[in-house]
Amino acid sequence: MNLPDLTSLQQGDPSAWDAAFHWLWPTVFAVAQLKLQSYFPSEIEDIAIEALEELVEKVRAVKSADELKPLAASIAHHRAVSLLRERFAKKRGEGKTDSLDAATDEGQTKHEPLSEDSPLADLDQKELAQRLGKSISELKPPLGEILSDFFLRGLRYEEIARNRGVAIGSVGVYLKRGLEAMRRIWGEREEK
Amino acid sequence: MNSMNDERFFDLAMKVTAQQASDAERAELDALLRSQPQLKVELERFQADVQMAKNALPLVEATQATAGKLPSYVRGRLQTKVRQTLGGPAAKKETDRSLIWGWRWALGLATAVAVVFLVAVPMMRTPTGLLIQVAVLDTTGGTRGTVTNDTAVLQGMWRGSPVQTFSSIIELEAWEKNLATDVRQPIARIIYDPAAGEVRVSGQSKGKPFQENFPLEKDLITTLQRVKAFVLERGF
Repeated sequence: MNLPDLTSLQQGDPSAWDAAFHWLWPTVFAVAQLKLQSYFPSEIEDIAIEALEELVEKVRAVKSADELKPLAASIAHHRAVSLLRERFAKKRGEGKTDSLDAATDEGQTKHEPLSEDSPLADLDQKELAQRLGKSISELKPPLGEILSDFFLRGLRYEEIARNRGVAIGSVGVYLKRGLEAMRRIWGEREEK
Repeated sequence: MNSMNDERFFDLAMKVTAQQASDAERAELDALLRSQPQLKVELERFQADVQMAKNALPLVEATQATAGKLPSYVRGRLQTKVRQTLGGPAAKKETDRSLIWGWRWALGLATAVAVVFLVAVPMMRTPTGLLIQVAVLDTTGGTRGTVTNDTAVLQGMWRGSPVQTFSSIIELEAWEKNLATDVRQPIARIIYDPAAGEVRVSGQSKGKPFQENFPLEKDLITTLQRVKAFVLERGF
C-alpha cells in the first residue's frame, strides 16, 4: 500500500484510518511478538492493539507519513518492554524467579529479555522512532537483508551471495557498509 | 593500514566474530593483531558494533514486517478510538456549522427530499433476487432493552429481512461464512455493532464486491438512512 494520507488521518477520516490500521498491523504485531513471544505470547495481540490506539493519540504531532511505521513500532516496543518489566518485577517481588525458565521452548534456558537489549529499552519513544526511521531509509535492499542474513540468521558469505543474487566478493563490502550505517544510527546517544 | 589490508582485517574480524572463520583465517587474524597491536582497539570497537547491530536489527526487521492481517474484531475498537480522539466527520460537521448557517433552509429541503426518496423508492422497487441480511452484534450482554429497541429499528428499516442477534464475534463470523456466496445474486450484509458504534455494510452487486462502514452519528435511525441510501446506490 502507498503511504497513508497524513492529513486525512489527523482529521479522523475513518476510511483513511482503516487502510492505515491494516498497513500498520504487521509492524506492531511483529514488534510485540519479538519481545513477548517467549514469555507472554497471549499478550502480543493486546499490546499491538494498544500501540495502534496510542498512535491515534499521537498522530497530530506527526509531521510526515514516513514517521508512522517507526513511531508505531517504537510505541509497541515500549509497551512490550513495560509489560515485561512489570511482570518480572512482580515475579521477583513474589520470589518466583525460576518461573521464567519454565516459559521457554525446547528445554532451553533463556535470560530475561531486557538485559541484552537494554540500550534499546533505554531510548525514549521519540528517539527510538527516529532511529528506526533512519535505519529503514538507510538500509535499502539488499543491505538490510544481508545484515540480517549474516548477524541474525548466521548465513555464510556463499549462502548470502546465492540467496541475494550478489557477487560473493561484495558480501563483505555490504556488511561493512551496513555496519557503518548501524554505528552512525545506533552507536551514539543523542544529547537531550 | 592500506585499504586492502583494511578490507581483509574487516573480513577476518567479521568471520571470527560470527564464528564462521576457518583455522587458517583465525591464525591470519592473530598474526595481524600481533604485527599491528593498534588493531586490537579496532577489533574491540568492531565487536561492540556487531553486538549493537544484533540488538537493533530484529527491531528494524520487525518494523518492516508486512505479513499478518488485522483481526476483524479489532477494527471496531480502533475506529472507536479514532472517533473519541480525533472526532471524525461528525465533529468536523459541528465545527463547520456556522459556515452553513445561511443555507439551513436549503439543507432542510434537501433532507425532506432525501427522506421521501428513501421511503418511496424501496416501496416502488420489486425485489427480484436481491438478498439483504441484517445482524446485530451485542457483545455487552447487559443492554438487552436497548438492543431490542435497536433490533426493532433495523427490522423497520428492512422489512422482510429477519434481524439476527449475536453475542460473540465468533458466532457472527460463522454466520457471515455461511451466507450465500452465489456471485450472480446481489447481496447486502448489514451488521450493527453498538460496542464499536458503527454499522458495517458489505456485499456484492453486479458482480462487484462493496464494503463501507458508517460510524453512528446523531442516532441509529439517521445512520441507517445513510446505510440504506448507500445500499440503494449499489443497485438494490
